[in-house]
Amino acid sequence: MILQVIVNGIATGCIYSLMALGLTLIYKSTEHVNFAQGEMAMMSGFIAFTFFQILGFPVVLSLLVCLLASIALGLIMERLIIRPAMRAPHFNVFIITLGASIVMQSVAGLVWTYDQFPFPSLFPSKTFSLGLVRVDGVSLGIIVTTGLLMVILYSFFKRSKTGIAMRAVSQSHTAALLMGISVKRCFALTWAISGLISGVAAILIAPVIFLSTRMGLVVINGFAAAILGGWGSIPGAVVGGIVLGILENVAPYYFPSSTRNVIPFAVLVGVLILKPTGIMGEERKRRV
Amino acid sequence: MRLPEKKTTLVLVVAALLFFLSPLYLSRYTIFVLNLFAIYALVAIGLNLVMGYTGLISAGHAGFLAIGAYVTAILSTDAGWMSPLLILPVAGLFTGLIGFALGIPILRLKGFYIAMVTLAFGVVVAEVALQWSSLTHGDDGFRVPRAVLGGFVFDSDGKLFFLIQPVTIAMTLVARNIVRTRMGRAFKAIRQSEIASQTMGIDLARYKTAAFAISAFYTGVAGGLFAYAMTHISPDSFSMGVSIDFIAMIVIGGMGSILGSIIGAVVLTGIQHVLSELPEVQMLIFGVSLIVFMIFMPSGISGMILEWKQKWPKKKPSSLTGC
Repeated sequence: MILQVIVNGIATGCIYSLMALGLTLIYKSTEHVNFAQGEMAMMSGFIAFTFFQILGFPVVLSLLVCLLASIALGLIMERLIIRPAMRAPHFNVFIITLGASIVMQSVAGLVWTYDQFPFPSLFPSKTFSLGLVRVDGVSLGIIVTTGLLMVILYSFFKRSKTGIAMRAVSQSHTAALLMGISVKRCFALTWAISGLISGVAAILIAPVIFLSTRMGLVVINGFAAAILGGWGSIPGAVVGGIVLGILENVAPYYFPSSTRNVIPFAVLVGVLILKPTGIMGEERKRRV
Repeated sequence: MRLPEKKTTLVLVVAALLFFLSPLYLSRYTIFVLNLFAIYALVAIGLNLVMGYTGLISAGHAGFLAIGAYVTAILSTDAGWMSPLLILPVAGLFTGLIGFALGIPILRLKGFYIAMVTLAFGVVVAEVALQWSSLTHGDDGFRVPRAVLGGFVFDSDGKLFFLIQPVTIAMTLVARNIVRTRMGRAFKAIRQSEIASQTMGIDLARYKTAAFAISAFYTGVAGGLFAYAMTHISPDSFSMGVSIDFIAMIVIGGMGSILGSIIGAVVLTGIQHVLSELPEVQMLIFGVSLIVFMIFMPSGISGMILEWKQKWPKKKPSSLTGC
């Protein structure tokens, strides 16, 4: 029984991992914190919805549009509101992304109203038996897709020239610039990849929790996951997300069910107070 | 074009008189909005002390507002206290104590971590107010009894005007003085550079917790006034969006400025009431202005005023340093 709950938790956790991953990538390369990560997912979800529901495109094509839109959204955000504030303190950029999240939420509310909409799933709804546990198709699809995306991203950052250049930028902007890497282009690319991840998250999560303007709030779970795993650590983001997902699904069995909503916040505060470096984070020492 | 000293004083006195007599000639609704201006100005000043002056992002000030409001409601119902002169300081001090307690774990944290912890704090407070229904009446909300001061019942917005405005004005003057003292200078130094201010002998732990405690005190008192003005409070008046509205107030008004806090509170509350039928447009304006101000004018409207004054200097530039 508990094993079953844990498997469901892993599926939820994969979504949080994706959110945390998007946040961490941007943080690692630009040291900016993107509060609008969840709203990027919400917007691209709604764009896909417009294509298949209102314009009548086939679902697969619409989901492709969703991914393209999420990349475009990342690029637009970077170019329009982040780059002009590149030299501003991180504090200011945080407020800017907060503003962006409010803008996207209100635009979505204006265009698509505050209702909830069903969203088609790519995965079959039948249940599979895997040894001791039974997994429904949607959860399995979420886990497999997330795993696949992780492998792709890993090989991109490990093997491809662009990926290696991006890792260089995240270590030192100046040194990367001196090696002939375009730092600006790498920043834009980071935002594009982060956007793409949010698009994938939208496709995976929207069929489960319905499409609504409130979907962007999943970014809070993303923050909790990234901090639990260790802020700034990519493996940490993945592990943190999955642990958070399991915690959220297991907690209602031991505590009153109303605690479920508070879990991400409790995790946030608990980790930051007890061990701010999280599971896998490293302590950063700053030179004065 | 500067008026002689005497004339300026006269104008100020007339303006103050007109303001304090406004319940006589303005509509009930206008007075209610004026009261809200004052309440949110207090919140914005409180938030500015911790965020604008000391540089610690707080995304959970609605939590402090809620604590102040619920303490006021509970004291005047369950404890049977009447006098706002007793209730408001207790509400403020209790909230300040919570702010102090929240300030301690935050000492270990930096920048955006602080934003996350305060955000969580705000959400948890609203959730507690929702779940602990034996004390807070949960989702149904809480009817707040009228404030009574020596037989005088504050049972209308016009009467509450004479409770809310004096409290706000007095606390604004105090805040103006706080930011000019040793403590205020320490706050600003911490914002500029924690390491540099530590090297200069500023006790970071002391001043950061003090900033949170004072900020929470201001917001707690504002919460008490809010409870009186609204007469009915429920957990959804203190959601995460409210905390973010407060941030928008001080970003638009001007961070690190008392005058800016008041301007921001008035502008945003004004927009909220003019566009109360169109919440999406309201949010859109707030969001866009957050972005635009942060990119082009990080010091907000009060910074614009200051810049404008410096471009066209008057005879006495020293009078500018006050705001």
